[in-house]
Amino acid sequence: MNAFEYAAPRTLDEALTVLREHGEEARVIAGGTALVTMMRQRLVSPGYLISLHDIPGLNRIEVANSGLRIGALVTHREVETSPIVRERIPVLAETFRRVASVRIRNMATVGGALAHADPNQDPPVTLIALGARVEIRGAVGRRELPVEEFFRDYYESSLAPGEVVTAVVAPQLPPASGAAYVKFLPRTADDYATVAVAAVVSLEPDGERCRQARIALGSVGVTPIRARAAEALLAGQRFSAELLQAAGESIKGAVDPLSDHRGSAAYKREMAAVIVARALTQARDAARATARGTR
Amino acid sequence: MAHRIVGKPIGRVDGVEKVSGEARYSGDVSAPGLIWGKALRSPLPHARIVRIDTSRAKALSGVLAVLTAKDLPNILVGRRMFDMPVLARDRVRFIGEKVAVVAAADPDIAEEATTLIDVEYDDLPAVFDPEAAIVAGAPVVHENPEAYEGAPAERPHANVQSVLRFKLGDVEAGFREADRTFEHTLRTQLAHQGYLEPHAGVVAIDEDGRVQVWASNKMPFRLKELLSHALQLPQEKIRVNLTPIGGDFGGKGSLMDLPLAYHLARVTGRPVKMVMRYAEELMAGNPRHPAVITLRTGVSRDGRIVARSVRALFNSGAYAAFKPAPSVSLGGASMGAGVYRIPNLWIESFCVYTNNIPCGHARSPGEPQMVFAEESHMDMIAKELALDPAEFRRRNLLKDGDHLANGHHLEHVRASDTLEAALKASEYSQPKPGPWIGRGMAMTHRHIGVGFTNAVVRLGVDGRVTLRIALPDTGTGAHLVLRQVVAEVLGLAVDDVEIEMATTDDFATDSGVGGSRVTHTGGRAAYHAAEKLKAQIQAEASKLGVPGDSLAAVARAAAREGRTLEASHFYDAKAHGAVTSFTAQVAEVAVDAQTGQVTVRRFTTAHDVGTVINPLGHQGQIEGGLIQGLGFALMEEIKTEEGRISTLSLGDVKLPTIQDIPPLTTVILEDPVGPGPFNAKAIGEGSISSVAPAIANAVADACGVRILSLPITAEKVYFALKEAVREARLPTEEGRP
Amino acid sequence: MNRKIHLTVNGTARSVEIPTYRTLLDCLRNDLGLTGSKEGCGVGVCGACTVLLDGKMISSCIALAVSADGHAVTTVEGLAGDERLHPVQQAFIDAGGFQCGICTPGQVVSAKALLDAIPNPTDAEIREWMLGNLCRCTGYYKIIESIRTAAQRSRA
Repeated sequence: MNAFEYAAPRTLDEALTVLREHGEEARVIAGGTALVTMMRQRLVSPGYLISLHDIPGLNRIEVANSGLRIGALVTHREVETSPIVRERIPVLAETFRRVASVRIRNMATVGGALAHADPNQDPPVTLIALGARVEIRGAVGRRELPVEEFFRDYYESSLAPGEVVTAVVAPQLPPASGAAYVKFLPRTADDYATVAVAAVVSLEPDGERCRQARIALGSVGVTPIRARAAEALLAGQRFSAELLQAAGESIKGAVDPLSDHRGSAAYKREMAAVIVARALTQARDAARATARGTR
Repeated sequence: MAHRIVGKPIGRVDGVEKVSGEARYSGDVSAPGLIWGKALRSPLPHARIVRIDTSRAKALSGVLAVLTAKDLPNILVGRRMFDMPVLARDRVRFIGEKVAVVAAADPDIAEEATTLIDVEYDDLPAVFDPEAAIVAGAPVVHENPEAYEGAPAERPHANVQSVLRFKLGDVEAGFREADRTFEHTLRTQLAHQGYLEPHAGVVAIDEDGRVQVWASNKMPFRLKELLSHALQLPQEKIRVNLTPIGGDFGGKGSLMDLPLAYHLARVTGRPVKMVMRYAEELMAGNPRHPAVITLRTGVSRDGRIVARSVRALFNSGAYAAFKPAPSVSLGGASMGAGVYRIPNLWIESFCVYTNNIPCGHARSPGEPQMVFAEESHMDMIAKELALDPAEFRRRNLLKDGDHLANGHHLEHVRASDTLEAALKASEYSQPKPGPWIGRGMAMTHRHIGVGFTNAVVRLGVDGRVTLRIALPDTGTGAHLVLRQVVAEVLGLAVDDVEIEMATTDDFATDSGVGGSRVTHTGGRAAYHAAEKLKAQIQAEASKLGVPGDSLAAVARAAAREGRTLEASHFYDAKAHGAVTSFTAQVAEVAVDAQTGQVTVRRFTTAHDVGTVINPLGHQGQIEGGLIQGLGFALMEEIKTEEGRISTLSLGDVKLPTIQDIPPLTTVILEDPVGPGPFNAKAIGEGSISSVAPAIANAVADACGVRILSLPITAEKVYFALKEAVREARLPTEEGRP
Repeated sequence: MNRKIHLTVNGTARSVEIPTYRTLLDCLRNDLGLTGSKEGCGVGVCGACTVLLDGKMISSCIALAVSADGHAVTTVEGLAGDERLHPVQQAFIDAGGFQCGICTPGQVVSAKALLDAIPNPTDAEIREWMLGNLCRCTGYYKIIESIRTAAQRSRA
């Protein structure tokens, strides 16, 4: 790794000040799993690292408007094992559980994962399907935006210079809904996904028709994507094999995967359709179970 | 025959150091004033070096030395064929070749310094594909390979490192006699041995001017010889201190970075440690050769093989330096004949120069490649003949008195028993539990390794025995096996036998670890030394009038007379051609119809072995090799394009994890006919080679598609299924793509 | 830039001055002489560098030493406490859970953390917890057996 200056400020304001002072030379570090790995590989060489891990108040999981606010310094493992998360938004706990190994999850943070903006990561996919929002602080103040709008390109988020993620706020599922996160990894269980899909399905009162679906995919482009065209096909429709097939075909047109070590673009395109169908089916089954009160 | 200690599943009592973290591997060795070496590597696959400017690197604070080829003697290194410079001299031949080396106060500074070395290159035409490399007019990787020390004489093309042939009978006549002939071409991938300890070494020049070496190298005496040659120093000036090794699997027998560590130590006057990053292992370690193998087999009407010809092309990369066999080739090519009686056989195997990563030996060199091709080929033929794959094999299995491709006559052949045991234990003939589930089999055999080893056993006054050997501990449990052998002979408990690691000062030579030879050579050396000591003890006992059953009493009595009881034995194993070990495996897989993903539901492995000295260690070798075979079959691949490796971490190259292991059934057929102590054979390389074809054959059984290249990825299966449906070879079924 | 850090290692207070770029693993191995933890893959995948930071498993090869300032680290050398070996370590010996031993420090640290968190783990729980500890020698069967053995013995 290159030589660098290191600061571990005790307040967020201090961190933001130092961050602004050092501009492009500075990077924020939380768990460090992605950043230190990249620095060791000399993919990035920041001259100044600002650690957030001494800043209080950023590592809480709290109920917020019946959804959850998860602080940026909460680790993946904490989300995965949190009784509140498992109770209120279980698909979120299940998604964080799929990341790498327990060891990595002990270190990697929610905020760090978002800021890293790797389209192969798991949490953003489910956060998008849930309609979660990111809270951001910068020197000029705070703002927030949907996670769906947070990613710009491969490893590029919409954080402006001097900004950090402070929390993510995820709503609970609407009534009569179920969710699923399906991660397709044909190599080993600690891998990134070849294709990943998060689906939230809300049923009509008759329990047969889909009132609304929200579908997000990971590893199928330079950012995670929301499959609005497929969602539109499903709205108000009765579930059937043909419907899922049509949704799958629409997905193939909506994704623009990159070939990588986990699969060629052509294969990922095909698998996007297959895994969307599986995720929708699982989400629908979960919704039915909720409706029946068996969940 | 029941023994007291031999045959007992004793736990690795020699492992306290390992589980406690006290064991010092070569990367853990330190010395006062230690500094760190780091290499700069070529970014181009083939280029002339025009100019190297090291001034900025030398100016970096904390840097003690920067060396390029012009600072070093012009000596080429290798294990058998000496074609590789220690640092690239006037040209680089693969991406990753070392061009300069830095010594600095810590490894980060050393690495930083390498980024400050400016090198100007002039591109040269490069060749990456072995087929393309051996056509007329192909770019030449080495201008005069015949001039290299150790170069084989035969060279049909400048880019051929070596040719290895096996011949029986008259293959052309055999094909004329055949009723049907089948030909298939299969491919295997570049794959790393996957040891988790990257190459590491420390070189220190002591006050007497002797070069002290600690290295992750499993043949310390050969290492000493090679260092003597590379450094132009007499062997007596070099001492290799043995350290445990964090996994070898064939990959740790070369000099690697040690000559550079030496030169840095020489120039700086400080001990130097060099440790490869895993990215460097994946870019410039000496991985398993990728292969393209074509098999052609002629069979008679009744399913007997009458002729087979095999052509193998191994993509050996830019240097032959990492191959240790006298042929500078891969012995596993002989497995083109499989476990079958083939009266007319022709195998021709080429190791080819390309501008890729130079390859070396990996567990069962050449065999997982060849056995994948050969056993897949057998199943494809069986299908064409409408024969059950087991039945086709039965009609052709080797029997007592048959001879192998290398001319060895076989005795105690248990090929048939081993096959039947695997079929039975795997419930091969039972109906499958559902659609898209398949079973496949594969067989192989592996000779017992040969070599030479010294052992000394000494009786202490406390009645305990010390076994001094210079065989490094690569983790196989061999040291415990040797202790069991000595304990058995002398009537002691294992705890009363201690290993004392020798250095290369203590013996003249040892062929080291590898080729599944240690139980044989180390075991026989230890056995005979112990027998000699036993005789000495008995002689002393009667001479001194002391009861012979108390070793401590005898030792003390002898010590009072000024005598230490010690015996040594040098065992040189001649090739034991008459005996081999068969393996038969059955894989049961499920294929996901929509994604092509292959899951191994269960796996059966049957082994024809000699006396098993330690069943726990023996099983550990079987399991370890098998999971390596599984990785090779399903997931491992170093991806390279135009000489550039894109998989530079274990996040990119996937090795099997604890969640990838299938339920396993092992069948051991124990036959005390081996050349090792107590008639042991060998097991280290017995379980790896037939895993991939067993899985490939099971996939074909499950879903009708044949995957002809490794690894068998979900993607390959998926597209093969689509194509099969498109070509209407398979009916469309619900759930198929 | 150099920093002086103060951390507790295996129950003992240690202070050391290190450059900020020093990983926790390199600090433990080279500055503090605790060579039990190993560098394997260097990217946090293989687990050879596993240590406990405040009782939780981390990959020390991708952790900065400065981030451990003020924290407690347990390495393989600290597992046994006053005993010669921790029961997990003994179980690995008895059940053949290691061969070359290079992954073993990481395996036993992780296994100890597992049994602290889940004293009676199912096979599925063992496989999930230990997913990040690669082994190239054993094929894992005897690692699972070692952990089961340790769990059984602690129940007895």
